[in-house]
Amino acid sequence: MRVVIAEDAAVLRELLSQMLTVRGHEVAASVADADALRAAVTEHRPDVAVVDIRMPPTRTDDGLRAAIDIRREHPATGVLLFSQYVETTYATRLLAQGSAGVGYLLKERVANVAEFTDALGRVAAGGTALDPEVVTQLAGAGRHTEELRALTDRERNVLTLMAEGRSNAAIAQQLHVSAGTVEKHVAAIFAKLDLPVSEDHNRRVLAVIRMLRQGPRG
Amino acid sequence: MREPRAVRTVLTASLKRRAWAEAVYCLLSFVPALVGFVLIAVVAVALGSVLTLTVLGAVPGILFLVAGLALARGLGTLQRWLAQRLIGERVEEPPRPEARRGLVAGVEARLRDTGAWRAVAYVLAKLPLATLGLYAVLWWVIGALNVIAPLRWMAGERNPRLLSPFPGGGQPPLHSLGATFAATALGCAVLLIAPWLTRGAVAGDRRLVRALLGPGALAKRVRDLEETRALAVDDAAERLRRLERDLHDGAQVRLAALAMSLDMVREQLDDRDRPELRHLVETARDNATETLTELRDLSRGLHPPALDGGLADALTTLAARAALPVEVSVDAPNRPTPAIESLAYYCAAELLANVIKHSGARGCGIELSTGDGTLRLRVRDDGRGGAHIAEGGGLAGLVQRARTVDGELTLHSPDGGPTTVKVRLPLHA
Repeated sequence: MRVVIAEDAAVLRELLSQMLTVRGHEVAASVADADALRAAVTEHRPDVAVVDIRMPPTRTDDGLRAAIDIRREHPATGVLLFSQYVETTYATRLLAQGSAGVGYLLKERVANVAEFTDALGRVAAGGTALDPEVVTQLAGAGRHTEELRALTDRERNVLTLMAEGRSNAAIAQQLHVSAGTVEKHVAAIFAKLDLPVSEDHNRRVLAVIRMLRQGPRG
Repeated sequence: MREPRAVRTVLTASLKRRAWAEAVYCLLSFVPALVGFVLIAVVAVALGSVLTLTVLGAVPGILFLVAGLALARGLGTLQRWLAQRLIGERVEEPPRPEARRGLVAGVEARLRDTGAWRAVAYVLAKLPLATLGLYAVLWWVIGALNVIAPLRWMAGERNPRLLSPFPGGGQPPLHSLGATFAATALGCAVLLIAPWLTRGAVAGDRRLVRALLGPGALAKRVRDLEETRALAVDDAAERLRRLERDLHDGAQVRLAALAMSLDMVREQLDDRDRPELRHLVETARDNATETLTELRDLSRGLHPPALDGGLADALTTLAARAALPVEVSVDAPNRPTPAIESLAYYCAAELLANVIKHSGARGCGIELSTGDGTLRLRVRDDGRGGAHIAEGGGLAGLVQRARTVDGELTLHSPDGGPTTVKVRLPLHA
């Protein structure tokens, strides 16, 4: 896949670029601030952009604002935010437009290169990759609403893993249950959240959005 | 060697710019001194007369007083300006009375305005001094008129008089040109003395201005302490923020890069080949990751990043991380300084932690608003109540922290609940 990297710390920027190149991906550009990121995405039309949230010029949430713009102006480009913090308000702002083609990971997830690259791939393909920490917080913020309260603990676990962007098989592996059991849980979630019968992928996204939307509004 | 210098000082005193400025000051400041004295005397007389009429006189009496105090403050401002421009006596304005809502409160604040009362004292004490000053100026005038006696003679004035600066000193006429030169000599002598007289009058006035027109030693000290405390509070907040930023841009980035590199090394190692080496690298990577997590918690404690977006963002994030449902409502049109924001955030965080730990509440609400130069934070829960501010406890710590900026914390927690804690902070330290 074609990747643009925006990270102001040179050491991490170069390492990411090196790692992705070694794995056979094309790093179209690697930049150090939000304005350069916008320009690079417009120029290279990458499949996905890896974006640090705290970047120049203001070093607060410049990356997040650029990410939201990119999702709106270049829907074909996925955005994976990565940051040293998980902030609920950042996640809600990012997910306000929907959860397709977005990701939000803690920076330390780069310590598992394989999983990080997987997550990047999911976002590039229009999927979602949320850090477990993000999901815990958002689910925590929204867990007291009627619909979510109807879910069993196990179903909530499954929904959380769905929000992280995992497939049924991956969820089964994580929870040490069979794929059939996971399917049953997923079906129960769809039913309890009253989601229309449609393509499975679409319903998964809707379920996740339903959960995240219950979260606080920034 | 010192003598010639002293002699020169005496001889040239009246030619110095400073002496002239002092003379002008004596002359100019006499006008407001006289006018002020008369007006204040008028106010006092009017006050006395309305009060002798009836008890109802108290109402116009108070109005006269308020007007008189305002007048005195105005005169004080004028005198401070003159003193600063002409004799270089820089005195700050005394603190103004707080603006209060309501007629009665407003009048009361004005009546209690010590700055204005001290200005009244100045106006009263100034008149005798100003009279002395004016007399000193007279020495200048008389000296100058005597010095130019020959010129007056030559300009055609018949028998000019020798002027004496002493009251009742007589004014003998001068009958010859030669005599006028004697007058010049006398004038020079008067001019030698005149600057020292004006200087004396000005010195007295200086003391009076400092003592009565300035903020007063205590008020000045309070203002100084307030200013330096605000600096210290802002500086502490800024330091923490910088520390967090340095950690973020330095150690945390390097650790992330280190963990990533170690993982890339691990991928290169074949499990069958060197399992112990692979294990070692894995452990190193995990240690780096855990350090990163600890560092993240640490720096969040230094300065929560969500505070960059304001208190609404930060409190929402705080609520989301809490282990019970928290309703957050923020109405903060006026943004406080970073130090106050961070203080308010830590109050909210600590209070929320207390609710979770001790109250057994099922729900909690955090409300924050800013208005009238004040930030109000209210944290309430539906728990069992009975909380109190124990010495050395978390709440006592918050009370202390609020006090560092003249804020206050009040607790209402009857047995059986509910508990409400209110925190009030100024918008800037």
